Amino acid sequence: MFRVELLPDSSSVATPGYTYVADRGFNPAQAAMAPTLGRKRGIRDAGKGGDVSSRQANAIMRHLAELDRENQRDVQIPVPVKQAKEAGSRGTRAKTTSNVRRILQSQKTFRNHLDDEEAALAMGTGVGSGSGGGANVNAILQAKTGGAGGKTGKVAAAAGSGSSAAARRSSTPATASSSAARRKRPSAAAAATTTTATSTPTPAPSVSETADTHPEAETSPDNNNHNDEAADAEPKPKLIKTEHDNHPLLRSYAPSAPSDRIMQLLLAEPPLPYNAARAAPPSSSQPPRHFCCLCGYWGKIRCKTCHLRTCGLDCYKVHEDSRCGAFF
Amino acid sequence: MGTAKTRAPPKAATEPKVTRQIPQKTFVLDNGAYAIKAGYAPELPSSDEAALSACSSVPNALVKTRDNRVVIGAQITTNVSDWNEAMFRRPVEKGYLVNWEAEKEIWEQSFFDEKTARNKNTRVASPEETTLVLTEAPNTLPTLQRNTDEMVMEEWGFGGSILICHSIEGPTLNAWNEIHTLFGDSITPNPDSVIAPADCLLVVDSGYSHTTVTPVYKGQALQRGIRRLDIGGKHLTNYLKEIVSMRQYNMVDETYIMNEVKESACFVSNDFAGDMERTWQAGRKRQAGSEEGVVVDFVLPDPNAGKKGFMRPHDPLLHAKKKKGALSGLSAEVLSEDVLVLGNERFTVPELLFTPKDIGMKQAGVPEIIIQSLSALPPGLHAAFLANVLVVGGNALIPGFMERLETELRQIASAECVVRVRRAHDPIRSAWLGASRLANNREELSKVAITRQEYQEHGSTWAGRRFAGTV
Repeated sequence: MFRVELLPDSSSVATPGYTYVADRGFNPAQAAMAPTLGRKRGIRDAGKGGDVSSRQANAIMRHLAELDRENQRDVQIPVPVKQAKEAGSRGTRAKTTSNVRRILQSQKTFRNHLDDEEAALAMGTGVGSGSGGGANVNAILQAKTGGAGGKTGKVAAAAGSGSSAAARRSSTPATASSSAARRKRPSAAAAATTTTATSTPTPAPSVSETADTHPEAETSPDNNNHNDEAADAEPKPKLIKTEHDNHPLLRSYAPSAPSDRIMQLLLAEPPLPYNAARAAPPSSSQPPRHFCCLCGYWGKIRCKTCHLRTCGLDCYKVHEDSRCGAFF
Repeated sequence: MGTAKTRAPPKAATEPKVTRQIPQKTFVLDNGAYAIKAGYAPELPSSDEAALSACSSVPNALVKTRDNRVVIGAQITTNVSDWNEAMFRRPVEKGYLVNWEAEKEIWEQSFFDEKTARNKNTRVASPEETTLVLTEAPNTLPTLQRNTDEMVMEEWGFGGSILICHSIEGPTLNAWNEIHTLFGDSITPNPDSVIAPADCLLVVDSGYSHTTVTPVYKGQALQRGIRRLDIGGKHLTNYLKEIVSMRQYNMVDETYIMNEVKESACFVSNDFAGDMERTWQAGRKRQAGSEEGVVVDFVLPDPNAGKKGFMRPHDPLLHAKKKKGALSGLSAEVLSEDVLVLGNERFTVPELLFTPKDIGMKQAGVPEIIIQSLSALPPGLHAAFLANVLVVGGNALIPGFMERLETELRQIASAECVVRVRRAHDPIRSAWLGASRLANNREELSKVAITRQEYQEHGSTWAGRRFAGTV
């Protein structure tokens, strides 16, 4: 069915009608929003189905953009023009170079720079070498943690694959390199697993870890808040070996600290792109809290015409008299 | 120190030794979006208090006052008395240095111009003989990094040599601080030992433009673990401004005043539902505000009388008394003052840092971001990072922030891990202090610095790659 929908964009001002947004192909989130049952279902049940309507999404985007402003109004504050005499006070410094002139005259905002960056990333130029390196680290991490528990490897893989579209595009070389890494270093992985295997009977891994990270903890008198492993780890030089060390209940399952080689690879990774470093949505699916749009108390009732929340009849009357009717 | 930087020395060793000499004097510039923290690093290792006395804070803005004067940088603190309707232009946008036209003006005024930069702590007389340590936010766009390189090298010519910490973002510098005493570890710092960064430190930097989580391993950021929440002090101030404008006075143009209100009145609630309930009941009963009540009055500043704003317990009868005017026996001073009544605004505003969902933002709160950051790292490191969480940035000063963060992090972290969350002694100048300590370690400094000669020889593209650790 044909319909017109206002897609969310990042403009901070409300423009009537429509805006142009980039069509990035099939988007499951938006496809889910398409009404399948009734024409008005999407508008009526906004917020109920977990996903917000496009109009609400637009309102939220605009609100966030408003919160991000420096001043309420758009205001131009020019840099005061200097007198020629003062301008000559550059003194011994050399003349302005072309680079400097270009940078000073640039009126680009962060948004412009970010768009340029995204375009460069989409072209596949930006982090070409970087994604390969990241995949390599992922492969090694997977090879190392694969034996201990598949979960961590999955986490690392998810982080790597979700990092950027460019990384996803180069998935075939990445998997190839990972398999190559596995093939090339079976001995290293095997050695790693054997070391963990030999050391797990004693609480040695946690010992080495705590010793590496904060050796001071071992001598501190007030370490009663440390966990049992750390407390066990205190007499590190003279561990008493008993036959119960191999007992499955007494074994320490703390993951061992990564080796120096892995740490070096991790440190050598290039920075993530701006958008990849943004925090992900919360994992818990708690329903959103609603607040009264007038007094800020819990928004218990919802206006039937404009869907804004109020806390009770007092606030609702004020709302109905003065503010209702505002298009959401 | 098996870092990427160690790949550089072989190359450096082939060059004449002289070129790696960096100047003795080090100027540390923490270019925050709200304020620049600047000063010379002390020549010798000294106590934190002594070092911080050399650091001064300069507002990083151009201010246009109500009477259309434009005031720049360091003069803002001294020359602006009437903050009503003050407008700001900030060269740092979303935490990243974007507009060099404005930034150059602020730097010139505050640090380079001999007429205006009177403070000798922050006066850079000869950039040629000074090393610059300049911070930047994590995940800066490469274009902006190159712009910074070119401006610093070609415009001011931090001549002898310069260090722009590309790989050393602001949060990383915190690792150079003395954090053992902060965490209550009983190791005593050896005053004779070489200053070295902490092994594992998870830095939560909640500043003006955003909140970032950076895992720092031996002074270097683990890039894949850096996460950013796009809520900072600016958003809190604007949100408070918006709420107050809707409920009481129109304050949309009073950014500075509302920032003061936020700093003095807002707190992070450790019992959100309970505080909400209490505030509501206090409003219903209209009883005299008891001492522990949430509701407070904020008396707005009066620039004509030269009075500053302040907070006091809520007086629910004040409005009625004012209506009666002089009959009620109030002094003229009280009658003329404007009062904002702050109830649940006090804690629903900073709550955004913990539940951004409240304004519909699809990002997790600070505690969960920490877990997100850690999930990108090998599990062997989780325990070490969770036990060393350092909070810096202005938002760390909001009362209740630390308690809430520790509680929530404890709840969602793995039960085997120790969770220790600490605030730096001076959360705002912590990065500056860390940089000044780094500056004392000449060897490390020269490893990451590039000299002016190198820059002139290789150009800005090379400098970018050098800082990225690929040359």
